[in-house]
Amino acid sequence: MIEIKNVSKWFGEFQVLADVNEVVQRGQKVVICGPSGSGKSTLLRCINGLEPYQKGEIVVDGVSLSDPKTNLYKLREKLGMVFQRFELYPHMTVLRNITLAPMKVRKKSRPEAEKKAMELLERVGIPDKAGAYPANLSGGQQQRVAIARALAMEPACMMFDEPTSALDPEMIQEVLEVMIGLAKEGMTMLVVTHEMGFAREVADEIIFMDAGRIVERGRGDDFFKNPKSQRTKDFLGQILK
Amino acid sequence: MLTYKFDWGVLWRQPYGEWLLQGLWLTIQLGALAWVIALSLGILFGTLRSVRFWPLRIIGALYVEIFRNIPFLVQLFFWFYAGPMLLGKTLQFKINQISGLNYYIAIFGLGLYTASRVAEHVRAGFASIGHGQYDAVLSTGMTRLQMYWYVMIPHALRLIIPPLTTEFLTIFKNSAVAMTIGVAETTFMSYKIDEQTFHGLEATTGAMAIYLVLGMTVVKLMDRIESRFRIPGLMSR
Ligand SMILES: Nc1ncnc2c1ncn2[C@@H]1O[C@H](COP(=O)(O)OP(=O)(O)OP(=O)(O)O)[C@@H](O)[C@H]1O
Ligand SMILES: [Mg+2]
Repeated sequence: MIEIKNVSKWFGEFQVLADVNEVVQRGQKVVICGPSGSGKSTLLRCINGLEPYQKGEIVVDGVSLSDPKTNLYKLREKLGMVFQRFELYPHMTVLRNITLAPMKVRKKSRPEAEKKAMELLERVGIPDKAGAYPANLSGGQQQRVAIARALAMEPACMMFDEPTSALDPEMIQEVLEVMIGLAKEGMTMLVVTHEMGFAREVADEIIFMDAGRIVERGRGDDFFKNPKSQRTKDFLGQILK
Repeated sequence: MLTYKFDWGVLWRQPYGEWLLQGLWLTIQLGALAWVIALSLGILFGTLRSVRFWPLRIIGALYVEIFRNIPFLVQLFFWFYAGPMLLGKTLQFKINQISGLNYYIAIFGLGLYTASRVAEHVRAGFASIGHGQYDAVLSTGMTRLQMYWYVMIPHALRLIIPPLTTEFLTIFKNSAVAMTIGVAETTFMSYKIDEQTFHGLEATTGAMAIYLVLGMTVVKLMDRIESRFRIPGLMSR
């Protein structure tokens, strides 16, 4: 589904990504963790073409992002993305937030798009909020709307960039539950998070990034119990405290 | 010394009262039609200034710098005297035959000038939208054009309603400059009454009252628009 081959990226002199290699198979769930500034967000942004990279290649569903002929807009339809700060459109209702892209990009009719949107709101547990505006929702509810908005495009893979780190503790669980539900349905997922409970439960693979490199990769308990590098040990020590 | 005898009757006696009303009607037309141009071009050039593709940004910046920095009166004279010449001999002749040419030039000139100011507000509106919003829209597969048209422009416009109210108000006030090219709007008419009756003080006071009422109406209208389009949860000013 997603192949990242030897990708390097620089912001000026500063190297953000250094020879990153990773393959995400269809249906796989990969969790990325690592300290602030290690390049996790940048990696996700490179995968859906929001950021260019200077070296290597990223292939999504057989389509290379390095190819200048690639239609990035078409490609992004396959990749849903959820952001740390939700990024809902504050001047639109929840329903409109979700139906906009299906109507404009997929040219769905309004009733069709709204029917789908209501199903998704049902699924994330807030069908009664369809007419509300983002500012009138709690953080957890906003993030669930953001997930519904991404799902409305029926993506083949969902990418999450620290989806719970802007949330109050009591709201983290409601968002994680939606994500776990998605995982169980077989969605391909690439999740940047420090929620190690989530990682343990759903991840097929956990990646630890530091200074733009993938320092360590492992599976579930093994990753937590026997980290190979000292850097990973230190990091896990900090967040599992 | 002669004492000045007030005659407020010039404000409603015919034909003067009617002149003022005709002037008001023209002022409304100038302001409203120029505003349509100002808003459309202002949104266009303000957006151009904000896009990633630098040649478009330069076009936007050039427009704003040129129209914002030259006094409106000079711009108006330019369009009136030099504008038709820019179009070549035959067209110039045809254009000069259009009746009410000065009226069209006033609308056009006022619109182009005000557009540069609107463009600056629009740009400020975009700048206050967080960058994550752009990523979010693009991540749903929308094109940049769709992003600006469906999300960013409606969002930015809602953020800049207060400065837009000021511009809308100003466009009616600036429309008085159109008298210099012979458009018989409110100020023009008050001078004309003065010429005929020597009661310029009353006529000017009448014109002032007209601008005041017009301005207050504009503010009321914009207040309604603002409350209709207010972004829920955004702190009101
Ligand atoms: N547009 C940019 N220009 C220059 N440097 C940037 C830019 N965006 C990010 N960086 C830098 O790149 C590095 C990686 O950023 P990135 O956001 O990918 O980190 P991250 O792992 O997601 O961190 P966090 O956990 O804080 O979100 C950081 O040092 C950041 O300062
Ligand atoms: Mg990040």
